[in-house]
Amino acid sequence: MTDYLTRLEHESVFIIREAYKKVRNLALLWSMGKDSTVLLHLVRKAFLGHVPIPLVHIDTSYKIPEMITWRDQYVKDHGLRLIVGQNKTALADGMGPDKGRLVCCGALKTQALLDTIKDNNIGGLLLGIRRDEEGSRAKERVVSPRPEDGTWTYKDQVAEIWNHYNLHLPENVHMRVHPLLSWTELDVWEYIEREKLDIMPLYFSNADGQRYRSLGCWPCTGTIDSCASTIESIVDEIRTTKTSERAGRAQDNADTYAMQKLRSQGYM
Amino acid sequence: MTQHEQRKIVIVGHVDHGKSTLLGRLLMDFGKVPQQTIEKVRKVCESRGVQLEPAFFLDAFQEEQEQGISIDTTRVNFEFDGHRFLLIDAPGHLEFLKNMTSGASGAETGILVIDGHEGIGSQTLRHLKILGILGVGKVVVVVNKMDKSGYKQARFEEVAAEIRAHVEREGQTCLAVVPISALKGENLTSTCEGLSWYTGLPLLPQLVASTSAVSVDMAEAAAAEPLRMVLQDVYRFTDERFYAGRIVSGSITPGARVFFSPSGKVSTVEAIETFPPRDMQLAVKGDSVALRLKDQIFVERGEVVSLPEQTPEVNNELQAKLIWLNSEPLDWANEYLLKVGTQEVSCRLEPSNMVFQQVGNGDFVDVVIKAQKPICFDRNGFGVDKFVICTTYETVACGSIMALTTAASQGSQKSKNIVVESGFVKREEHENRHGHKGTVLWMTGLSGAGKSTLAKALERRLFAAGFRVQVLDGDNLRSGICADLGFEPEDRAENIRRVAHLSKLLLNTGTVVISACISPYEKDRRIAREIIGAEDFHELFIFCPIEVCQSRDPKGLYKKASGGQISDFSGLNAPYQPPANPKLRLDSSTMSIESEVDSIIAMLQAEGIKPPVSAVGARGELAWKP
Repeated sequence: MTDYLTRLEHESVFIIREAYKKVRNLALLWSMGKDSTVLLHLVRKAFLGHVPIPLVHIDTSYKIPEMITWRDQYVKDHGLRLIVGQNKTALADGMGPDKGRLVCCGALKTQALLDTIKDNNIGGLLLGIRRDEEGSRAKERVVSPRPEDGTWTYKDQVAEIWNHYNLHLPENVHMRVHPLLSWTELDVWEYIEREKLDIMPLYFSNADGQRYRSLGCWPCTGTIDSCASTIESIVDEIRTTKTSERAGRAQDNADTYAMQKLRSQGYM
Repeated sequence: MTQHEQRKIVIVGHVDHGKSTLLGRLLMDFGKVPQQTIEKVRKVCESRGVQLEPAFFLDAFQEEQEQGISIDTTRVNFEFDGHRFLLIDAPGHLEFLKNMTSGASGAETGILVIDGHEGIGSQTLRHLKILGILGVGKVVVVVNKMDKSGYKQARFEEVAAEIRAHVEREGQTCLAVVPISALKGENLTSTCEGLSWYTGLPLLPQLVASTSAVSVDMAEAAAAEPLRMVLQDVYRFTDERFYAGRIVSGSITPGARVFFSPSGKVSTVEAIETFPPRDMQLAVKGDSVALRLKDQIFVERGEVVSLPEQTPEVNNELQAKLIWLNSEPLDWANEYLLKVGTQEVSCRLEPSNMVFQQVGNGDFVDVVIKAQKPICFDRNGFGVDKFVICTTYETVACGSIMALTTAASQGSQKSKNIVVESGFVKREEHENRHGHKGTVLWMTGLSGAGKSTLAKALERRLFAAGFRVQVLDGDNLRSGICADLGFEPEDRAENIRRVAHLSKLLLNTGTVVISACISPYEKDRRIAREIIGAEDFHELFIFCPIEVCQSRDPKGLYKKASGGQISDFSGLNAPYQPPANPKLRLDSSTMSIESEVDSIIAMLQAEGIKPPVSAVGARGELAWKP
């Protein structure tokens, strides 16, 4: 009998294989967070240990320094191909969260991502977003086409019936493919526990009883009070919490429909 | 770690009947909605001067909250009493029908929400029908807004009776009808004062009771269903090839012989590969697998893997029921993309009734899909029986495959401008003159199973009883009318098609026809049945274990085949698909010829077939007694 996590895993593997077969120059958007690291593991499952696609990391230069150290070590240890994207022009002009959170996200994340896609002729991206993260992500399709400017036509998405995904690429469009859309935060942690995955240490509680539940840029990402210092204790914590996963992410709370606005412009 | 199984349920119904409210309510009460989200929604509601609207937990888009409608589908997880549910919200507006269908296609059970005050709306019935096409055959109906209709039992009974009738008419199952008030959260987990007359279970306990957890269904289904795996890709990261795909029905184990359709290639599963590597002995429905095969065969994405004795049908025409999901109406002249499993083929659509009416968003239509090349598929609600129709970038329709088209049974008609003549002497006239009815006895079985021997004995007995009778013996036909045909699956299909048409002609003369051909493929026999007509087609399965056939080997063919001199030999290196439901199954390894003949005669008698009165002499009577 196949258990629930295994079924999620097989569903995701199917999606990854579909995308790899049909999308030219597929890449994986890797933030080193728990979701995209699970996604990377699923890519290995799909291709029997191989990672036949490059990883893309959008470095805003505001990332928590431990993240970058961990990233470089991980890439080296696993022999992965990594493309790092950065909006150098905006940074040179002094872009930062003090210019307004949504403006900053737009420049250092969205624009950097779109430029990286264009510069590397990427036809599609695997992303680790999930429906249960926040309202606008809940409305996503598994496959979402984005024109050059990244906009999401959320009011008129194509039908996605059974397992038939529309992966044909029009000119100047890239595909966002979301293999983890049906997973929940708890599923992700339980899966990490089951598969014994190597995960960024920032998720674990430090000496001050603080840990990150969601990882991002240091000025806009807060820690939570938690003494969960193992994967097991994180699973227990998530099971009983009443706080939202992205509560520590300032950009989500900048305005009521912040995430919808950011995402309609091409934010991940 | 206790991992509860998940039930996937879609909430459908007419616009404003309270789908999102119900979902939001369930989510708020059982879904562990984070405090921040509740606060956020409360703030939005306050700023708009409305009551706390649970629907906003789902309808997160600004446009949705401003207009109070759901635009797109959402899924939420919630738990009740230790049972895990995935609830899918589907928008009710016709305009957003493709979103509703996208959401509903992932479900196993439907909750059909009806406003008890307003009653059944146009979308109510449309959604019910869509669930049918999507294969979501079981529904729980909730009659909502009972508070608004004053909790009146009479009103509830009225709506319940009406919807039950509709569900039945669609061939679906109505698991229960439950009165509720989603807004007030009444009768979701426990009954309320106003509904004290209601004797059934509240909604959630009802859902738990009437929907079984997925994995139970899946394990049972996997054991009972034939194997179907859709091939996604063939990987060669190293020297070895891995055949990657998803099992959509049945199960697979290492060592299994596998048949690829439509290419007809055959191999054996050496291993089911995994990462990290482990010894995998069984993969079942729902699993994404990578197979290592004994032979490095060349097959491409789109093929369907099955066991050799249970292959899918292959045809370039298929009959289907579909629902159109695009604001652009169906264009009968247009070329569309048909997707079945992982196959993608260009196709045209033709209305089954040849009435080229306008088909717009939300319309249902029966069509013949004419694909550019043969595709493989299933019917009867399992395996590869669902399809979508696409333009280059959009999915514009979806549907399920129905019966074979009659065109398929006519063979590929090369001659055009043929007008079928009528007005000849009728079958009944022939039958009246002979004094008995005609019929067809279609024998199927392995070479050496004893078809010809039995045919001869049966023919002799029927002839003695006064019947006009004709044997169509496979080998004899192959030296005459079918001399141009070999043993490839296509040639076998053509062979059977010809034998079936011959049978039909003879049947028209009121003859009792005995056909004795191996006819190894289920699909070909089905076409024969269609040509001859189900009421005259009597399938007789002449069973005999292959070892016995081999030892009999009356024509020395098994010897040749195992010596490699014959390829495509049914039962050895070509499939033999035994009939699932033959009229008679006769085991020639245990029965005598006489008792086999007796069984067939008893069957004919039971069918109301009698010998001509004129011929019933002492000898005839003797012949006709089993």
